[in-house]
Amino acid sequence: MKLKRFMTFAAVTAAICATGLQASHAQDYPTKTVTVVVPFAAGGNTDTFGRLVAEELDKRLGQRFIVENKPGAGGNIGLGDLARSKPDGYTIGMGTVSSNAINQTLYKTLPYDKEKGFAPISLIASLPNVLVVNPDKIKANNVEELIAFLKTEPGKHTYASSGVGTSIHLAGELLATKAGIKITHVPYKGSSQAILDVVAGHVDMMFDNIPTAAQQVKAGKVKALAVTSLEKAALLPDVPTMASVIPGFEATSWHGLFAPPGTPPEIVEKLSKEVQAIIAEPAMQEKLKAMGVTPVGNTSAEFQTFIDKETAKWADVIKAANVPLQ
Amino acid sequence: MDIFSNLLLGASTAFMPMNLFYGFIGCLLGTAIGVLPGLGPTATIAMLLPITFGLPPESALIMLAGIFYGAQYGGSTTAILINLPGESSSVVTAIDGYQMARNGRAGAALATAALGSFFAGSVATILLAVAAPPLAAVALNFGPAEYFSLMVLGLVASVALASGSLLKAFAMIVFGLILGTVGTDVESGTPRYVFDIPELYDGLNFVAVSMGIFGICEILRNLEGEHERSVGVKRVTGLMLTKEDLKRIIAPVLRGTALGSFLGVLPGGGAMLASFASYAMEKRISPNSAEFGKGAIEGVAAPESANNAGAQTSFIPMLTLGIPGNPVMALMVGAMIIQGITPGPNVISDEPALFWGMIVSMWSGNLMLVILNLPLIGLWVRMLTVPYHLLFPAIIGFCCIGAYSINNSVFDVFVMAGFSVIGFALSKMRFEPAPLLLGFILGPMLEENLRRAMLISQGDPSIFVRSPLSLSLLVFAVVVLALVLSPSISRKREEAFTE
Repeated sequence: MKLKRFMTFAAVTAAICATGLQASHAQDYPTKTVTVVVPFAAGGNTDTFGRLVAEELDKRLGQRFIVENKPGAGGNIGLGDLARSKPDGYTIGMGTVSSNAINQTLYKTLPYDKEKGFAPISLIASLPNVLVVNPDKIKANNVEELIAFLKTEPGKHTYASSGVGTSIHLAGELLATKAGIKITHVPYKGSSQAILDVVAGHVDMMFDNIPTAAQQVKAGKVKALAVTSLEKAALLPDVPTMASVIPGFEATSWHGLFAPPGTPPEIVEKLSKEVQAIIAEPAMQEKLKAMGVTPVGNTSAEFQTFIDKETAKWADVIKAANVPLQ
Repeated sequence: MDIFSNLLLGASTAFMPMNLFYGFIGCLLGTAIGVLPGLGPTATIAMLLPITFGLPPESALIMLAGIFYGAQYGGSTTAILINLPGESSSVVTAIDGYQMARNGRAGAALATAALGSFFAGSVATILLAVAAPPLAAVALNFGPAEYFSLMVLGLVASVALASGSLLKAFAMIVFGLILGTVGTDVESGTPRYVFDIPELYDGLNFVAVSMGIFGICEILRNLEGEHERSVGVKRVTGLMLTKEDLKRIIAPVLRGTALGSFLGVLPGGGAMLASFASYAMEKRISPNSAEFGKGAIEGVAAPESANNAGAQTSFIPMLTLGIPGNPVMALMVGAMIIQGITPGPNVISDEPALFWGMIVSMWSGNLMLVILNLPLIGLWVRMLTVPYHLLFPAIIGFCCIGAYSINNSVFDVFVMAGFSVIGFALSKMRFEPAPLLLGFILGPMLEENLRRAMLISQGDPSIFVRSPLSLSLLVFAVVVLALVLSPSISRKREEAFTE
């Protein structure tokens, strides 16, 4: 009996101590260097956003935020590492539409628990895609004409992508399912090679991230028909949105910050507030907009709702288009 | 011609203090490792590749090019001084170069090699600058079908020009092609041969594989017996060439440069084929042919200019089409991809500063080698006396760090270790690793373009013969194959390589 009472006492004390520790822990956080895992190669978009934010967190929180690139398997390797690291806020990581909303459906197995997922900190930025066509191959000046043209020759035309299961590929599948047309998918490794083949006319059209495609559009090598964000894009202000023709059509490539599952909510909250403040700064807004990117910055809860919505949307597209699972 | 404005743009990149510095470091490191017997340019580049990752693309490629020339020059140095060629392309240099050194003319031999290489390098650089842009313009019309046919031609030619047994070269290519299929299939997204290892989803890492096969494997081979290396020549004097020498080397240098420039463009052989062919030619037509094998200065001048010209012009297919003709170029392609540049005809238009900077840096790199190496020859001689049991653990340690730093992944270190064992076993059975690496890098490109062309043509294979460009490439490939297989040619080929 005595022992049982002691055990209860000990357990309660331990619990109090633990919460107390955790609270003070979150208040002091960070007291040492924080690692920011970027699950893609250095120099890419995700890496750039990760470094921009890490640099500012560094200045604001007075601790080093070090970016570590762990590329491979569409972001799965880096996220696997993130999921396995201690949920104490000293390892956080970047995630994207592919790694955190598409791979969940596309890959049969992931190196982490799909159900547990991650603790979202904040969405950082989103990149709209633009639908470009080779003017010699596709006789259309807008999306309505394109759909009508493709309906007359079903299965005869091709669209390029930066790889199976990328947001660029799935944007094409989304168009095919929503408009009820048949187009052949021609995947490449990365979009730079793909857009070149659209320019040369080997492939008829593609969706591409705006920053890279805008150059070819401005040089007159390809024709831009529509952007895939709900609002018009700053880099191509004259191009209408897909949503104006197909209501609700949205396919952006977004990038956000995540913590491992089980990270104390206070720490996630603190980081989220900081990231939102960083993105709200005029200098940061300028920098991101110049890159053709829409700055976002939202709360953990908002980010989670967004991810759930995106995951469900892309799961439907993958199923409807019969994209083979990996 | 706007070639001058292009070269000027290149000069402004190549002569930036930072790029000059990295070019210099590249030449120095390349020579330092290249003088170690048995470690040729491919091994040296494979080992040093990771240290360029953190640099901006221009500096990284300029440094790698510097490492390449440095290693090649270092290989000739050992060939002359201790009769141990650092690489296959300086094998013939050793014949007369070492004899010259034994006759007390080591200085003259080294100077001939340096000056011949510099001259050939300058000519080949100009050739590259003139030939690349029009070639790249044609290459822009290359679609998936044309690329597929070109790759077929490249693979066929690399079998034809391989030095050992044809069958073994063919087997190595096929082995390379198979290794290239590991990873996520680009068209369907299905993983192949990954055994549920996430690290394999992107395929075997090219840098780790080549570091294993070329870097560590070379060290293992050298470790088989720690030979006493007798540096017969302790002090190298008389770097100046006499008037008589100069007169004797002018014609061989010119002939070597011409032959080397031509052979370098062909896929497969490159520098090695160039040096063998020009030595054989010189032996036949030189007025001093009786002296060959006993220290004829022509026997150093011709192959050294030829291999350098060949090394330089082998950049042409790589820079204009994105197709590597030999393992060194394959490593360069790998480096470009790591730097975020897709090799191909678009490099000239999208990255003019990088492209022209690299071309001009080839010239400045060669010049640096002449200025740097002749006075430093004493240092290289001393490096030759560093015992292997100190040097090799350091190099292996360095390789492990390098392999790890590619993706911050321990897996790549294991890949490197595994492939060093495979490479060692293959070399014991007299299989050449070069065709393997070419198959490994060209294989995925070959497959992707084949399937992409078929997707675009809706499954109609006639796409490969409908395009005149693709058709002529395929016909050319068939002709090469027929030539190689015809009995009279294959006999001649064997004679040429045994010589």
